[in-house]
Amino acid sequence: MSQAIEDTTRPNGALARSLVGGLVTSLPVLVGGLLILNFAPTYYTFLALGAFVNLIVVVGLQVFMGNSNIANLGHSAFVGLGAYGVAILSTPLAMKKLSIPNAPFGFATLELDPVSSALLALLAVGILALVSGKVISRLSGVAATIVSLALLIIVHSVFLNWTDLFKGNQAFFGIPKVVGLPWMMAMSVVVIVLARLFKDSHWGLQLRASAQSPQAAAALGIDARRLRLVSWVLSALICGLAGILYAYFAGTISPKLFYFQMIFNTLAMLILGGMATVTGAVTGVIVLSVGLEFIRSIESGVTIAGIQLPQLLGLSGVALGVVIVLCMAFRPSGISGRYELDELLSRFFRRAK
Amino acid sequence: MLSVEAVSKTFGGVQALRSASLSCAAGEILGLIGPNGAGKSTLVNAIAGVLKPDAGSVKLAGNEITGHGPEHCARAGVGRTFQTIRLFRDLTVRQNVEVAHITCRSVRPDVAARIGVDRLLAQYQLDGFADVPAGTLSYGSQRRLEIARALALGPLLLLLDEPAAGLNEDESETLAVAIEGIRRDVGCATIVIDHDLRFINRLCDRLCVMDQGQVIASGQTEEVWRDPRVIEVYVGQSETS
Ligand SMILES: Nc1ncnc2c1ncn2[C@@H]1O[C@H](COP(=O)(O)OP(=O)(O)OP(=O)(O)O)[C@@H](O)[C@H]1O
Ligand SMILES: [Mg+2]
Repeated sequence: MSQAIEDTTRPNGALARSLVGGLVTSLPVLVGGLLILNFAPTYYTFLALGAFVNLIVVVGLQVFMGNSNIANLGHSAFVGLGAYGVAILSTPLAMKKLSIPNAPFGFATLELDPVSSALLALLAVGILALVSGKVISRLSGVAATIVSLALLIIVHSVFLNWTDLFKGNQAFFGIPKVVGLPWMMAMSVVVIVLARLFKDSHWGLQLRASAQSPQAAAALGIDARRLRLVSWVLSALICGLAGILYAYFAGTISPKLFYFQMIFNTLAMLILGGMATVTGAVTGVIVLSVGLEFIRSIESGVTIAGIQLPQLLGLSGVALGVVIVLCMAFRPSGISGRYELDELLSRFFRRAK
Repeated sequence: MLSVEAVSKTFGGVQALRSASLSCAAGEILGLIGPNGAGKSTLVNAIAGVLKPDAGSVKLAGNEITGHGPEHCARAGVGRTFQTIRLFRDLTVRQNVEVAHITCRSVRPDVAARIGVDRLLAQYQLDGFADVPAGTLSYGSQRRLEIARALALGPLLLLLDEPAAGLNEDESETLAVAIEGIRRDVGCATIVIDHDLRFINRLCDRLCVMDQGQVIASGQTEEVWRDPRVIEVYVGQSETS
């Protein structure tokens, strides 16, 4: 029987390929970021920071949804927990005296450096993800989605009602603003590469298989529950990181930021771009961020060739809805479909040869 | 290799299996036949861990696997195909086989080293389609892919539920040759269910005939066809398949 050498060499080759793939996918993000960093006015830098946060959230969402094929309506709970985590841990004491003087567990008198705060916030996110993931990974389809929604609502009510710790529906201010565009870009690349490595890993492949045929996957010895849990936790950690970065660049957060609006926007981005791929996540964020900003600019009324257009308030909401409906009708797998950017490029060049 | 003893299973009021027993040795190809609704697929599902039998036991290589669940049975060495094809349609052909090979690498690394994904693809004439989504293959290729995938698990026992269904005569013949190749290369115990008796007779060393949840006859292929009860079941069923 001929020994198959391929099997000892391929794992490394595959790892390198998905690493390169992840980097290629993050290239448009890097280029865009660099352009804005060097040429754009401050207003756009601020917008870009917001878009980068969305990007990280959407990539995190892709890690779970894209591989398990289960809709997640709870991910902004993790974004919020990440943000509040660093807010509570890293806000200077002078500020805390004003905002959360009665915080329990000694948080009122605790001030950690931004990095330790971030790590602890991620730990909190990880714990919440493990606990909720234990429940969600046992379910599949709609039941899992409903539980994720319940998680969102629970976490949101805690933010709102535990005012000693989270300051309720008032803005939590005074978080150190330590993150700028370069950090945001670096983290985006890391997250994109991570998502790609997961998708191409054994776990990712097995999870995608089990999403397509649970029976066949079980017949191959695949433990779908465990894999759903792994992807849920990884997805949550990435979303938590997005929240941390948001808090560190905006300096101010409030519970409503991490509620339905964020869920809807990021889901729309992922679905529009195509949730099967990391490229899809990136594409959706770029297209919708640019598109929505453009619409917002004409919403307030513009002058084209001397003609003053009327104000079109609410246009962005309508446009968002229309785009999603059209996309679902004509391209249900999203703009990027089933291939990653690097896969598309290599197919293109192979054909051109 | 496989021994099934007195397995029973009831669905609501239907007795799908009544104390069914069979055995299959390593390197043997056993044909499991019987009219529609005889309980063949149910028996296969009981062996593969999908169904928990109400009574009886299933042993693979001496280990009890009765009702242990499909994941456990797969890891213990049961590879299978489904009566209705169940591929990972959006994964590529290679990935379909790779997924099974991952499990094999973790539970039987020595066997995995011998199998090789590329070799399986070539053996089942799938190497030309390695990078296309499995769902886009022709029906015949999908059937072959399902078998290749089950083999990538490095199984001790291979269960094929109607692998020749929907294939034309040439394709069935190619498939029969391929299944004989499995016996030669892998040496696993193989159970084949099919309604195409010509295919079954040509391929199998032994037959096991089921009717109404019971095993009514089993033995060497020629002997079984001389059994009056088997003739009774198949008479009036003129030209099965
Ligand atoms: N999940 C189930 N729930 C209820 N009844 C079932 C179930 N599965 C099988 N049955 C019944 O059990 C009996 C045996 O079915 P089974 O599918 O094992 O037959 P089979 O021999 O494979 O037939 P075929 O040749 O048509 O595939 C049938 O009467 C069937 O209706
Ligand atoms: Mg059947």
